[in-house]
Amino acid sequence: MTITEALKIIQSVPPDSQPFAVIMACGFTPLHLQTLLTARLQRQLPKRRVKLTSGLFGDLAGTLESLIDSELDAALIVIEWPDLDPRLGLRSLAPWSAQAVADILDSARTMLDRIAVAIRRIPPQLRVALVLPTLPFPPLFHTASWQAAETELLLHRDLAQFASQIAQNGRVHIASASYLAEQSPLSTRLDLKSYLLTGFPYTLSHADQVAAAATRLLLPAPPKKGIISDLDDTLWAGIAGEVGSDGVGWDLAGHNQLHGLYQTLLAALSEQGTLIAVASKNDPSVVRKVFERSDLLLRPERIFPIEVHWQAKSGSVSRILETWNIGSDAVIFVDDSPMELAEVAAVHPEIETILFPNRDYDAGLATLRRLRDLCAKERVSHDDTIRLDSIRKGVEFQQQVSSTSTPEHFLAQLHAVLSFDFAAEDPRVLELVNKTNQFNLNGLRYTDSDWHKQCSQPGAICVAVAYEDKFGPLGTISVIQGVTQGQTLHVETWVMSCRAFSRRIEHQCLRVLFDRTGVDTIDFQFKSTAKNGPMRDFLTAIMGKTPDCPCFLSCEIFDKYCPALYHQTTEIGRTAANG
Amino acid sequence: MDEVTTRLSNCFQVVFPELPNANILAASQDSIAAWDSVAAITLVSVIEEEFGIEMDLDALAEFDSFVSIRGYVNKKLSA
Repeated sequence: MTITEALKIIQSVPPDSQPFAVIMACGFTPLHLQTLLTARLQRQLPKRRVKLTSGLFGDLAGTLESLIDSELDAALIVIEWPDLDPRLGLRSLAPWSAQAVADILDSARTMLDRIAVAIRRIPPQLRVALVLPTLPFPPLFHTASWQAAETELLLHRDLAQFASQIAQNGRVHIASASYLAEQSPLSTRLDLKSYLLTGFPYTLSHADQVAAAATRLLLPAPPKKGIISDLDDTLWAGIAGEVGSDGVGWDLAGHNQLHGLYQTLLAALSEQGTLIAVASKNDPSVVRKVFERSDLLLRPERIFPIEVHWQAKSGSVSRILETWNIGSDAVIFVDDSPMELAEVAAVHPEIETILFPNRDYDAGLATLRRLRDLCAKERVSHDDTIRLDSIRKGVEFQQQVSSTSTPEHFLAQLHAVLSFDFAAEDPRVLELVNKTNQFNLNGLRYTDSDWHKQCSQPGAICVAVAYEDKFGPLGTISVIQGVTQGQTLHVETWVMSCRAFSRRIEHQCLRVLFDRTGVDTIDFQFKSTAKNGPMRDFLTAIMGKTPDCPCFLSCEIFDKYCPALYHQTTEIGRTAANG
Repeated sequence: MDEVTTRLSNCFQVVFPELPNANILAASQDSIAAWDSVAAITLVSVIEEEFGIEMDLDALAEFDSFVSIRGYVNKKLSA
């Protein structure tokens, strides 16, 4: 991004947009980094007005210490070596003597401790990104440039220790130094003339790369939920139908390591909650034999569903998406055939298609990294680890629902338990709000700070709902957030995972809300979106009319239209009566 | 209006969006409150991007008006 492009993006924002306040704490003049970061954040938040401020020149720690009572939405901390000791920068003319170098080590440790304390005191609602020193040291050590000095190594060690301790709280997101080095080589980062004359040390290209990395950390894209993979020359090397189940391979000996690494990555992603399915034009009996091989690195039980036949792959993808109950925009399709990728993309234009590069090792590694980046999670929750199992159980559940002639009897013998957490603070809560489309009251997405503000209003409630029945646990499947005013509960957010449909969980949620809050009316802040048809249908059924705005549901009307409920309900910390 | 003047006017519009078009040719550091040290460096970067030239930050103090900058840019382009 150029400065001109950045300024045009910044100036295109309507002035009355809701502000998104960010502080950039750094010790140098922020100049172009501030412009580029503002523009990159703005591009990700087109409905907000990004307002980026910076602290005092040369006082990084002081800026951080001033954040204790701030009302900001996010903070970017950029540390450079002179912030730890001015003698580590080129604007200082202090001596580079052996005694001074030893002293630098002590003062840098003291400053790192001070910064660490200040970071820990930053309010919890702030999303924080941290960029560790990116610029080279001045030639102050006694060794030649190609030899690492002991002090240099100790500085790096202290910095790594500081960063690893900061990363432990999970709230500070640290830019990867190796990723930044790939995007912005060390030798192209420093603009010494600019640094000495204006106080801004970065070249424009480096400033843009730091801004890009910081934007990814402050406003991460939601991870893809599933990968649909081809088999021949993708999950393994070779055409199974031609060479047989023992002829295909995925190891070093057969020069097929890339396919083995692909399997290893899919296995890891699956364990971390990414859904894996197969869409292959193949002979099912041959594929079955390959799946029986004990050396397969991606175990067949981690793959669901498996579509193996000779029909169009776009149809396979449609059925897989239906089983997973997620949109094509949340899924990646991997195949070694450009024609198959095009056929699937023509029917599912929002799907991310990736060509598996068969014998191109560099492109293969790039593909593996891209898949990891697209599916990466900042943390792996318990719900992630049970997702595949709950989808399998969900399919079993739906099959039983459709085969039974008496849903009341079926629902009554599910032994369903709903757990309501009225003090929900799990990160999964906001994740669920921000990724649910179908059963979503209004499609609103929230940043960490926005969500914290919503839940901190006077009279606010935030409820996370977990579900379990005889088929197994579904984990946290619903979030309801609102504000109680008098006899009315204004529900501003309500989402429910599509895995939980057909169990009357939504009805039980309202029953518990009426009982727990004592209100006589619920005001739903409903807004129709392109994808929230299931929410609209539910409100229509429970209110006896199409939802309008305002959208009120009285306890009396709810009682009239609510079907029989069979769940046992519990509240975190105490149990409640049966439904 | 010659090409350099037009392109330079566009640069001023990008950096000083509230400056009326009619006032750009007469713009100077004294007449524009927003023309502070940060804006001066931003303006230099935008002009460098527009014309593909490198401006000398040592001479930043001389870039104090539209006319003086146009003279500098013309000299750089003809060098």
